[in-house]
Amino acid sequence: MYASVLNLAVVGYVCATGLALAYLIQREEFVHRLASLATAAAWALHTLGLIALAIQTGRPPIGTVPDSVSTAVWVVVLVQLWIERRYQVKVLGAFVLPIVVVLSLKTIIRSAGLAQIGPTLGSAWIWVHITLATVGIAAFVLNFAGAVMYLLQEHQLRTKRLGAFYYRLPALETLDRLTYRTLALGFPFLTVGLILGALWAGTAWGSLFAFDPLALFSFVAWTIYAATLAGRAAAGWHGRRAAYFAVVGFAALVVTLGAGLFLPGRHGS
Amino acid sequence: MALFVAGLNHRTAPVELRETLAVEEDKLRELLRDVQDAGVVDEVVVISTCNRVEIYAVADVPGEARSVAFRRLCRNRGLDPATVEPLLYTHLDAEAVQHVFRVSASLDSMLIGEPQILGQVKDAFALAQSCQTVGPTLHTLFTQAFAVAKRVRTETEIGRHAVSVSFAAVELARKIFAGLSGKAVLVVGAGEMSELAARHLVEQGAFPIYVTNRTLARAQELARALAGTAVPFDELPTALASVDIVITSTGAPEPVISREMVERATHGRRNRPLFFIDIAVPRDVEASADTLDDVYCYDIDDLKQVVDANLRERAREAQRAEALVEREVAKFRARLADVEVIPTIVSLRERLEGIRAGEVQKALARIPEASPETRAALEALSTAIVNKILHAPITKLRQSSRAGAGRSWTELVHELFGLRPSR
Repeated sequence: MYASVLNLAVVGYVCATGLALAYLIQREEFVHRLASLATAAAWALHTLGLIALAIQTGRPPIGTVPDSVSTAVWVVVLVQLWIERRYQVKVLGAFVLPIVVVLSLKTIIRSAGLAQIGPTLGSAWIWVHITLATVGIAAFVLNFAGAVMYLLQEHQLRTKRLGAFYYRLPALETLDRLTYRTLALGFPFLTVGLILGALWAGTAWGSLFAFDPLALFSFVAWTIYAATLAGRAAAGWHGRRAAYFAVVGFAALVVTLGAGLFLPGRHGS
Repeated sequence: MALFVAGLNHRTAPVELRETLAVEEDKLRELLRDVQDAGVVDEVVVISTCNRVEIYAVADVPGEARSVAFRRLCRNRGLDPATVEPLLYTHLDAEAVQHVFRVSASLDSMLIGEPQILGQVKDAFALAQSCQTVGPTLHTLFTQAFAVAKRVRTETEIGRHAVSVSFAAVELARKIFAGLSGKAVLVVGAGEMSELAARHLVEQGAFPIYVTNRTLARAQELARALAGTAVPFDELPTALASVDIVITSTGAPEPVISREMVERATHGRRNRPLFFIDIAVPRDVEASADTLDDVYCYDIDDLKQVVDANLRERAREAQRAEALVEREVAKFRARLADVEVIPTIVSLRERLEGIRAGEVQKALARIPEASPETRAALEALSTAIVNKILHAPITKLRQSSRAGAGRSWTELVHELFGLRPSR
């Protein structure tokens, strides 16, 4: 039952994406309202689906990598709706929702049967590891969306050819702040999440760096984000350079998740 | 009875003629009364601005009303009506509704989206109201026109993007900085254009303001006007490092701000962008400076391009506004049709209600022993009969008026039920 509800939520996100992109092009106020409504409805279904999943499996909806990604998406949409309202960045959906849809696709492919929970997934620490990583991923999705918006707006202002994005996107400073804050928020979660994962791997698998694609790529992503944060905090990086790093970091994160979702390894698939 | 608008505007008449015809308030009152006293119109509103002179009226014979109004206007102004007559346009009914909606929403303006016209239409309407030349039709029409204008303004961006160079610069600043409050501004060269741009920034909360000029006295003068601080010209490089927005407009033949100067200024700034508004010709900021990170440099040509882009954006928004007006006109026509038949419906109801109440009273006078229940039953019975009888004629009246035949049906109802003539 939870699978069909979750699939329905994904369909809702696809509709909301279409509407959000239409709003970016058309900027009809009622299209934005429809997009918000579709997003909220899909999110509500998503909530129900996750609750049903938790009840059916008897554990939080983060027992497998796809489940965690789904939960991360749930957090992302919640924060997106909040930012849109709070800061009146009405075009945010057009940048966040496509990522949401892409990340949700695997949940559909997988939903045929209940994934078997790994036998090692017993300790309480592992749940903390997954929760922290999930929140971190959610923050980095928004970090990426902010960086893309920054680069688009910056390009318009620099080339002085003002088009649709100039009129629709918020100020550079606002976008730079959004990417900085999401980075500053996501990084500690990711860091502690990774450390716990590594420690736990040490006890469960007998080695801190037992080969696992997800673990490997997530370390790459973490290094990139660490460099960005260090650059921002210590060397005053910002703007375009920080935005490029955010994009590269997210690419690494997507590869990481892809590895977790599609490659065989100890995180399972 | 037909609703119509007749007049001329910036597209049909040359500016000299519009200037001559534009009427001030006193004369406008006179004109409104004259036209109404002539007995050719039921209701009338006259709008007179430097871009349009139009009369909005409800009349039996619009052509007659139009020529009476404009003949009087021409006579007052010493013009030959024959020169004005060919320049006039007339719109009837639905087209008149569309016209007043478009005018109020600033879609018919010379500069699409300019905000003054709505106020001017409101003033014209208020004046006509004070002269008591506004009846139910024009009242409904103008109230709705104001509502439509407001919708257009909030739901489209027809009036949002700057169409002057100095405002365009402020808008650019708002796309670079999250807000302008607390942003420091440096004005280099004390020209009129730079003062205007600086004023706009101050209005948005920019603070503090520094002014520098080759002659310090001029700088001090402008600094006083802007509530800012004058800075000696040779401290320009230091001042650059501490501000966010620089407006330059010196008459210098060579750039006064070199790339190197900007580069040094950006070193100490860390996260803050630096925005140059260079309105000087020849330019004051070395052209290569805007390739530096976090430096945005717009010269006068760039700003003009921004204004052009804004005008194109307004034109695009105007298309959306036209569609909105179109929908509102359709809605309004239905309401207008109702307005035409409502007085008849009201007097028909009053008539029948009078008969009913009288007859019930007579009947009750004959049966003084009637219990409260009987009285109530009698009231209910008679009311039900009246409502049943009224249902068909009222429905028919509404339908016919929406189909455009309201007038003959209202006359018929008046005849049949012996109602007083409505006017």
